[in-house]
Amino acid sequence: MSDLSEIENELRKLRPVQPSPILLERVAEAIGGPDPQAAFAGRSSAAARVFRNWLSLGAGLAAAAILLLLTVMKMGDGKRFVKEVSSISPGRETERASAARSETGSMAESTLRSRFLPAGATRVVYDARDEGLQFVAGSAQPLRRLRYQARQTLQWRDPATGASIRVSYPSEEVLLLPVSGQ
Amino acid sequence: MENTGCHEDWKSCFSEIAPGLLLFARQWVRSAADAEDIVQEAFVKFWRRNHDIKNRALLYAAVRSLALDFVRRDSRRARREAGARAEADEFVEPHFEFDDEAQLALAQAVDLLPREQREVLVMKIWNELTFVEIAKVLGISQNTAASRYRYALLALKRMLQPQ
Repeated sequence: MSDLSEIENELRKLRPVQPSPILLERVAEAIGGPDPQAAFAGRSSAAARVFRNWLSLGAGLAAAAILLLLTVMKMGDGKRFVKEVSSISPGRETERASAARSETGSMAESTLRSRFLPAGATRVVYDARDEGLQFVAGSAQPLRRLRYQARQTLQWRDPATGASIRVSYPSEEVLLLPVSGQ
Repeated sequence: MENTGCHEDWKSCFSEIAPGLLLFARQWVRSAADAEDIVQEAFVKFWRRNHDIKNRALLYAAVRSLALDFVRRDSRRARREAGARAEADEFVEPHFEFDDEAQLALAQAVDLLPREQREVLVMKIWNELTFVEIAKVLGISQNTAASRYRYALLALKRMLQPQ
C-alpha cells in the first residue's frame, strides 16, 4: 500500500486548471443581485422563494409577450413598407431609407455595447487526402496537393450576461506544397 | 477541503471547490467552456434549492447528471468528434497545470484510465470526497467505489513504471 500512497501523493501535487475569472461573476449574476453573498447566510423562507419564482416567471412571460407584439408590429410595418415603395415619390423613399439606416445603426450600437469575448475555438479535421503531385501551369517544379476537410467551432461569451454565441461551420482547405527532388 | 462556514460565504466556497468540480465535469465534456456552463448550472440550482453545501454528494451528483444530459443532447456532435478524434489535430485544453515532465506524464496516464475509475479518482483526489460520498454520487456501494479507486492507482502505477 505504501507504493500506492506514493502515487496518491504525486496525484495530489497535480493542480486542476483554474476556472475562467468570469465564472464567479456569472454564478453571482445567476444567483441574483450584485452581492448575493448574504444570501447563503440569510436564507429566505420557502414562501418568499415561491413568490420570487412566480414573480420572475411572470416577468419573463410579460417580456416574451412584449417581444412577440413588437415582432408582429414590425412584420406588419414591413409589409406596409413594401406596398408603399411601389407608389411613393423618390423623396419619401429616401426618408424611409434613412429611417431604416438609423434603425440598423442602433442595432449595431447595441451589439457593440454587449461585450462578447472569445471563449474557445476548436478545429476538427475529418478527412485529409493526399491528391498527389500536380504540375501547375507556369510552375517549374511539381506541387503536392493536400486536401483537408474540417469543422471549425468558435465560441464567444459575454461576461456581463453570461450569454454565449457558438458558430460552427465546415471548411475545406487545399494546400499546395512545393516538392523538390534531390 | 474544509467546508466549515461555506454556507455563510458562497463565493469563497465556490472558489475553493470550482477547480475540482470543473475537472469532474470535464470527465464527460471536452470543452472547458461547456464544463463551466455545467458547473454554473449545477451550483446555481443547488443553491436555489437551499441544499446544505456540506451535502457535497448531491452537488457532484447534480454536476454528473447535467454533464450526462449535455452529452446526450450533444451526442451527434460528440459522435462526429469521437470518430474524427484519432486523426484530428483538435486542440484539447489541458485538465491540469504542470510543473514538469513527470507531472505531464502522470496527467496523460490519468486520461487513459477507464472512465469509471477516473471519476472515482477525480472525486477522491482533487475533490476530497469520502468513499461514502462517492458511492452516493455514483449510486454504487462503498466497497465498489474503494476498489475502483484502488484499481485506478494500480493501473497508474503500472503505466508509469519504467520499462
